[in-house]
Amino acid sequence: MLTLTSPVETPLHRLPAGAKLAALALFTLILFRLSTPLPLAGAAALVAALHLPWERTFATHAARMLRPLWPFVLVVALWHLWTRDLNGGAVILLRMVTAVAAANLVTMTTRLSDMLAVFEALARPLSPILPPRRLALAFALVIRFIPTLSDRMALLAEAFRARSPRQPGWRLAVPATLAALDGADQAAEALRARGGTD
Amino acid sequence: MGGITLQDAGYFAGGKEILSGLSLHLEEPRIGIIGRNGSGKTTLLRLIAGLVAPSSGTVRVDGIDPFTDRKGALSRLGILFQNPEHQILFPTVEEELAFGLRQQGLPQPQALDTARATLATEGRAHWAKAPVSTLSGGQKHWLCLQAVLMMRPATILLDEPFAGLDLPSIARVSRRLAALPQRLVTISHDTAAVAGADRVIWLEAGRIRADGPPAQVLPPFTAEMARIGEADADADLAG
Repeated sequence: MLTLTSPVETPLHRLPAGAKLAALALFTLILFRLSTPLPLAGAAALVAALHLPWERTFATHAARMLRPLWPFVLVVALWHLWTRDLNGGAVILLRMVTAVAAANLVTMTTRLSDMLAVFEALARPLSPILPPRRLALAFALVIRFIPTLSDRMALLAEAFRARSPRQPGWRLAVPATLAALDGADQAAEALRARGGTD
Repeated sequence: MGGITLQDAGYFAGGKEILSGLSLHLEEPRIGIIGRNGSGKTTLLRLIAGLVAPSSGTVRVDGIDPFTDRKGALSRLGILFQNPEHQILFPTVEEELAFGLRQQGLPQPQALDTARATLATEGRAHWAKAPVSTLSGGQKHWLCLQAVLMMRPATILLDEPFAGLDLPSIARVSRRLAALPQRLVTISHDTAAVAGADRVIWLEAGRIRADGPPAQVLPPFTAEMARIGEADADADLAG
């Protein structure tokens, strides 16, 4: 989510976050109702078209953000080639890529704080069991500590490689978990030092 | 009763005695606490700040218990952690600054406005939306101190406030701290950081070794550190 920020500002950024999220929900719902390749290809073309009027870097960045999907595309494609169900394969692939691309588009063009404001508004009916301030704090803590944890992982991996010829891989799981727990303790203490959550 | 009072305060963790039998009354405007690594300095500061409860004895700040009365503690005590990474809780500078104000009862919009206004008077208006992860070590340090100052505590507890800073930053931070009207309790292993204090307390293995003006406490401390340094200083485990 944090790497999903757009390198350029587009007119899409100025649309209200709630409207974009609602449109995304509706669009995804429609994707799942379409069951033949042609209309799905139309939907994919529509999402692609929304990337094109802006600066080139916007579209290339978006394409790069779809890269994690390729292993799944490969597996699904091979399976459907094997079962000779080209139609079914095309439907699944088009639906999957289009849904992810549309979601990425909304994320890329929406500031995190606006997104959080929508979630806070949606969570308001839950306020007796989930106080909105506590929810907002939880969001903020997650956004604050994701980069910190990934930095910590990188440091641990470096410390490992500094004294080992091997790749660390799974061996970092325990130290990384302990570091995360340590970090949680420190954050709890920092919260307490300035008033906790009440 | 004004000031910070410890009565026979002790702290145990993991079956080890970290602090024991501390009785102190602190009311001077500038107080230094020195000692070696592992002497219990940071634990003492956390005890005074009310972050941990004493295992024995009592800690009082202006008569209140800083561990149980958190609301009372916030207006009386601010603590600057040694590592800014352990203190920063929020993804952006303005949220980090606004958090303490909100805890003191200010609504979020006003807290954010105050944070932005403070940044503007400090010549850092453009920092407001900056992600904290992009700040340098010195800038994070500035942010942490500013977040504490905005809560206007009567006493500020500083844990090695110059650790990891370069020389210009040390000069800048010392100047800034010297100008503060608050009572400052500074812990350090470095005598230079506490040489200007009104009172210096030398902590050794969780107990008070010496207590008095810097001219009286620092020379024997320096001599003792040099003497230990000659021997193998690091072989003993704490406790």
